[in-house]
Amino acid sequence: MKPDELARIALENLWRTKLRTVLTTMGVIIGIGALVSMVSFGIGTQKNVTSAFYENDLFTSMFVTPVEIDVNRAISGDVEALAGVLYKPPSPLTDSTLSEFQAFPGVEIVFPEIRFPVKLSLNGNETQTNLRALPAGMGKYKPYNDLMAGHFFEADTGRSIILSQELLRQMKVLLKTKQLRHRTPEDSLRGMRLVEPDSLLGRLVTIGTSVVDLEQMTGLPMMFMQGRMRVPFREIEHHFHIAGIQETGQGFDRPSMISGAVIPMGTAESLPRTGFNNIWDVLSGKHDREGYSSVVVRVNHVNHVEAVQDSIETMGYSVFSIMDQLSDMKKGFLIFDMGLGAVGTIALIVAALGIINTMVMSILERTREIGIMKAIGGSEAEIRTIFFVEAGMIGLMGGLFGLALGWLVTKIANAVANVYFIREIGFTVHFFYIPLWLVLGAIAFSVVVSLLAGIYPAARAAAVNPVDALRHD
Amino acid sequence: MNTTEKNETLLQLVRCSRTYMKGAVRVHALQDVTFSMQEGEIVSLIGRSGSGKSTLLNLVGGLDRPDHGEIRIRNENLTQMNRNGLAMHRRFTVGMIFQSFNLIPSRTALENVSLALAFGGRNRTERRAIAERLLESVGLRDRMDHKPGELSGGECQRVAIARALANSPCLLLADEPTGNLDSRTSAEILELLGRLNNQGVSILMVTHDEAGAEKISHRIIQLLDGKIMDEKQCRRDHETG
Repeated sequence: MKPDELARIALENLWRTKLRTVLTTMGVIIGIGALVSMVSFGIGTQKNVTSAFYENDLFTSMFVTPVEIDVNRAISGDVEALAGVLYKPPSPLTDSTLSEFQAFPGVEIVFPEIRFPVKLSLNGNETQTNLRALPAGMGKYKPYNDLMAGHFFEADTGRSIILSQELLRQMKVLLKTKQLRHRTPEDSLRGMRLVEPDSLLGRLVTIGTSVVDLEQMTGLPMMFMQGRMRVPFREIEHHFHIAGIQETGQGFDRPSMISGAVIPMGTAESLPRTGFNNIWDVLSGKHDREGYSSVVVRVNHVNHVEAVQDSIETMGYSVFSIMDQLSDMKKGFLIFDMGLGAVGTIALIVAALGIINTMVMSILERTREIGIMKAIGGSEAEIRTIFFVEAGMIGLMGGLFGLALGWLVTKIANAVANVYFIREIGFTVHFFYIPLWLVLGAIAFSVVVSLLAGIYPAARAAAVNPVDALRHD
Repeated sequence: MNTTEKNETLLQLVRCSRTYMKGAVRVHALQDVTFSMQEGEIVSLIGRSGSGKSTLLNLVGGLDRPDHGEIRIRNENLTQMNRNGLAMHRRFTVGMIFQSFNLIPSRTALENVSLALAFGGRNRTERRAIAERLLESVGLRDRMDHKPGELSGGECQRVAIARALANSPCLLLADEPTGNLDSRTSAEILELLGRLNNQGVSILMVTHDEAGAEKISHRIIQLLDGKIMDEKQCRRDHETG
């Protein structure tokens, strides 16, 4: 018999027992729906994290420090690791070192990493952040080449500042983005001001930096004795104009590497502030030493990361790159995805048992029919194929509708979660992502599992003894 | 349909035996049965219930295998065929009709006949044309689109006969074809079988209706306890058409 005819017989058989077919297929639909929504959550989470790195082009950046810091050892309480940092005289990161780095093939830009804590104030609303200094050359790269409003600095001096959407939000300024323009009613802004991003350009922002107050320092022992202990810092205010606004992207892209406030490198160097840039400076007394505490090296392609990293490490510096972390992250996500996939697979296995049950029942009901088909010349292979096609069709239908169910579930779950996100954080996150491979894979998986479930019933149907079957009531 | 001249051997059974276990009891359904049948013959097997008639028919039909002995149809040895070979034998060499018709209840008369043609590898157009012609030839022109539940016993058996003839077999095997029919309908079915035989179809029939069998058969073989007890030649009413 021709395959299309066998398929037609199989479909007729399924159609004849519509209710049972629908109920059995429902099992598969739920299984595939669970699988798709679970796996798409895993993929979505991974995508949110890694795409944030890609969006900000962090895979092409390396962070060079003068000393070898084994972070894992240090965190686990290994005193020697810390002692190495504190007492070993490091090779300094001087301007001449930076020039050497710049000369490596593939290196695009090298600049010292300068960050320091500041107090930001806009229209009387304050927030605290780590101010970052960047050279004007960074304006060519993501995310600074595509600002939401305004432009990156064209010179390394001047009192200009780039602020992030999120930082503005902390200062009670909500930007009119596509999301908020239509969705947020005025009365739910909770004290926020809703403004067009462009209207903020040129506005004045006050930055407060801390400097060591020598007067307080001299009086410190006396104050201590008198119980009037105060922090020996004094705050100096500076005024900056907003030059650009950086969009806070989708997802969880606010790792510590991205600062919400950026000012020109030259300006930063001239700002009076405490002499250290990070906690390592405090611990190692770096402010007394020559050179920078850390340097950012950017290459033009991820393929150059490894070679440049090796060269810099050979020079006796420590290099941290996100690329190093990526493979570990991928492993972690794989385990995460597998865990989620396993839950969906269990649902599908239950559905597969449903298929086996339905088809075995069907054989009992159709024993005589199988006998008739054999009596008029149906071969075992043909009988087997009919049952296989039936199982496969249940799998295919279950896969297609299960995919639709999974998609629906992810849409609903995402919408519900984003009601909270919009209210609390001000932007939406796509928690689920269904790539093409998941679409095709889910359907294929459903069909394969259903065919596997059909093996036993099909073999049993093919093995029916025609003489007995024809006597069967 | 078969047009081979009579007097050529169509079927040969040589010392065929078949034993069943019925619970713990061994039942000798057939014991050393040897007989042959010519092309174009109608041979009827008669005997009491349990005499081995249906077992013999099932062996010839390739639904079952003998424990011992040999079965040959047109020199093809059934006992050496694998399961797929037996399926091809059932598909193309023999056509079977049963006392209880064994039609698929969810399919119309036309679809029941078409199914056999589909197993025979015919395409949809051919299937429809051949099935319609066969159903017309058994007098069911107006009942083609009816399901078995909507047909009388006689009509069902006609559908079964049309289905058995679908792939032009050389031997029609009829297992008590009139067993579920009233006497008038039985006579009509026997007449139909006689007519088919006149057109060249060889028929091996199991029946309880000896009188009816005598009218259309060339020979009647009597079985008792799995053995051939008697064989007699008949004067056929239908010999001259």
